[in-house]
Order: sequence, then structure tokens, then C-alpha cells
Amino acid sequence: MNELCADIGYKSINHYGEQLCGDHVDIVKQDDGSCVVVLADGLGSGVKASILSTLTSKIISTMIAENLPIEDCVSTIAATLPVDSKRGVAYSTFTIIHLKKNGSAELIQFDNPHVILIRNGDSTEYPKTELNIDGKKIYRSDIVLKENDVFIAMSDGCPHAGIGTAYNFGWRREDIAQYMEGLVSVGYTAKTLSTMLINECYTLYGEKPGDDATSCVIKIRKREPMNILFGPPANRDDCDRMMSLFFSKEGKHIICGGTTSSIAAKWLKKPLKTNLSFERSDIPPTAEIEGIDLVTEGVITLNRVIEYAKDHIAENKLYEEWEYYNNGAALISRMLFEEATDINFYVGKAINPAHQHMDLPINYSIKMKIVQELTECLKKMGKSIKVSYF
Amino acid sequence: MKVTICIGSSCHIKGARSVVEQLQELVSQNHLDDKVELCGSFCMGKCQQGVCITVDNEFYSVSPENVKDFFNEHIAACTAEVI
Repeated sequence: MNELCADIGYKSINHYGEQLCGDHVDIVKQDDGSCVVVLADGLGSGVKASILSTLTSKIISTMIAENLPIEDCVSTIAATLPVDSKRGVAYSTFTIIHLKKNGSAELIQFDNPHVILIRNGDSTEYPKTELNIDGKKIYRSDIVLKENDVFIAMSDGCPHAGIGTAYNFGWRREDIAQYMEGLVSVGYTAKTLSTMLINECYTLYGEKPGDDATSCVIKIRKREPMNILFGPPANRDDCDRMMSLFFSKEGKHIICGGTTSSIAAKWLKKPLKTNLSFERSDIPPTAEIEGIDLVTEGVITLNRVIEYAKDHIAENKLYEEWEYYNNGAALISRMLFEEATDINFYVGKAINPAHQHMDLPINYSIKMKIVQELTECLKKMGKSIKVSYF
Repeated sequence: MKVTICIGSSCHIKGARSVVEQLQELVSQNHLDDKVELCGSFCMGKCQQGVCITVDNEFYSVSPENVKDFFNEHIAACTAEVI
């Protein structure tokens, strides 16, 4: 997984009328770059199902991450799960995707719809070995990862969407695969891909899901560095040092802030051209400096990016806004959420004297809070973040 | 004539957007498109006096409420003189 990395995102909807989801996704990332993702679907729905799937995914992800054999995981689950009083069984299905540091993925699947693998834009079948553990049929596969591979794990709530209404037999796995093939090539994040799949299920269910439905998407991709400059340095003499460090870094460059971009333009000896088009939004216009990928205003723009970032890691209701608009905040969001995997922040701690005297919602502590909140959100998206202060 | 409007953070909060849109409207209503060039700029360093505008390097402080008066006094009047 050295030069490759994984973008992982998932989304669930609950059985109509339930407050809890009976599906659960657990992700364990390890320091060596390996990662275990477990999607579990508990029997029934509501509280009972939620407990079953949470226990199952948690136990399996922890045990697999510790390199314990799958047989032990299965027997541990069987011994641990509470037995359903009505049905007399303890049961939760699961899908395990173990991304190993040697660049392969181990898939272990029990009773969930089989994972869809989209490779080179087409859904691809992969060999599976059938194991029998305590009378349970479990399928195991080993897949050597390639760049742009996309794994889609689901609970059975997805293929069951639309049974008897939109489709006679629900949304078949082949059809889901075909639907996703078209979306994968666009470059959406794993989170957005899973959101789109689940939104489609929700529509097929007539907005009243007859089951919990969850999809978890894993995108295998190349590392992509990105650099972002925000704020002038506290000490004017540090300008040169800050600029030369920022511009020497590999990857794209984003500059946020009016004064900051003037300093950068001066350093590069290039003109700073400001646009006057406001696009239907209340975000200040962007600007251009030759050689810089994106130049925007600072505080207001980044505050909106944080709003998008918080939504993206949670409900993901606003993605259409940043996905298709062209204002500064939307452009930054696309670059940071979709393109980047490793983001370097260069933050200047200068205090703008003009800002301090006014009743404006801009001041030093707000700038620092922006950096803190944004980097936290980005870390939750699985990005690796470095922040340098000047 | 070059009119530069600050669209930096604090001018934005003080209504730079509305100022820009009103000026664009006024310029085209008065058929001054080929005489007046509107452009944007990031911070002019006078945030307290925002919304900051310069007309051929002369500094003015404008608000969305008085932009029409500003236009008549400093843009329309001056372009008339040039003719």
C-alpha cells in the first residue's frame, strides 16, 4: 500500500420508522498502512439488530487487525452474540475487507451480497474459495490491488430495494454494479459514491425502506499531495522562508486570503488578477496568479469549506453543492476532499490590525480555529495532514 | 476610468457583493461599459473604511446604501467631463 492508499466511505439508511440502524461498519487502520473494514448486518432491525451488528463488526475488526485466523473470529462471535429469543439464533452477516500492507486485499464474506469490484471501469468477478466454519459457508478471496480499483460492500437492504414495486426481484447486484460503473469514473469520493448508491435505494424503496441498507465503498488510489497557504506570517521577515517552503513542495498549491495572495504574487513576481463574478453564492470571488492552482479569499471561504467537510463526513447532504458549483469554497472542497490524500497546511499567524478593531467575525482566534476544525475533518476523511505555523 | 472594488474578507462582510452588483448595473444602465472598467482586488489594507473602492487610484469608502450617490458623484460626473 506504499504508493497506493485507500479512500473509504460508507452510508446507511434505517428501516422505515427505526431510529437505529441494524447495519454497522467498523474501520481499523493500523500504523503499518494496513486496514480492516467490516460491514455487519444484524438479524432483524432496530435495537436488537444494531447490537448484533455493532458487536460483530467490532469483534471481527479487532481480531483480524491482530492477525487472528477467521475461524477464531467466527467462533468468538458465535459464543458472544446474544441469542434472539424469538428465533433462537445469534446471527449477523458480515463482509470483511482486509487491505494488507503488501498491496493485496483479503475478502471474507458471510451471507452479505458479494462485494462488487470495479476495475478499469468494469465490474470484475474474482475467484472465491468456500470455507465451512461451524456450519457457516464463508467465502474467501485474495486480490492484488491495482490503482483505481473500487470495492463496494453492501448489506442485503441494497439489492432488496424496490422489490415488488420498481423491480420484481429488487435491484439486482449486476444492476447495482452497472449503476456504479458509470459513477466511479467521474472521480467522486468513496463517501459520495456510497451516498449515491444508498440514495438510489431510498428512492427505490419509495422513501420507506423495508430494511436497513448500507454500502461501504473503498477506492484504491495513488497518493496525491496538496499544499495550502493561509495567512501571512506573524513576522514579516519570515515571508521568504514561508513562500520558498510552500512553493518547493510537490503537488498542487492553493492560496487562501487576500493579503496572503498579494504576498505570494509579489514573491513570484506575477500579477494577482481578481475575478468579479459572484456565481450564485455568497462566497467572495476567486483570483488568479500564474502558476497557482487556486487563489481564494480566506476566512469566509474556508468557513464554508468546513461546513461542507463536516457534512461530508456525516450525512453528506450538501455534496451536490460543492460538487457542481464553481465558487472558491466548492473548488477548495473538491481539491481537498476528492483529489488530495496528503495535505500540507502553511499557516501564517499574523494578526490583521484592521480586523481587530472592528465588530467583524474575523480575528486571530477564529483563523486558528478554522485550521484546527478543517484539519480534524480532513483527518476523519482519512487524509494525512501536516500543519506548519509561521 | 478604472474602478477597483475590494472583495476581501471584511469588505465582503460589509456588502462588497452588493456594491459590485449595483455598480455593474449602474454602469450598464448608463451605457458606460466602454468607459468604465470595473475590477476586483483583495485587501487594500483599509478594512475599517470598507467597502473600499479606488477610482483611478483615488480612494473612497462606500456602502451598499450610498453606492448610487457615489456612482453619480464620482463615476457618472467624471465620465461626462471626459466627453
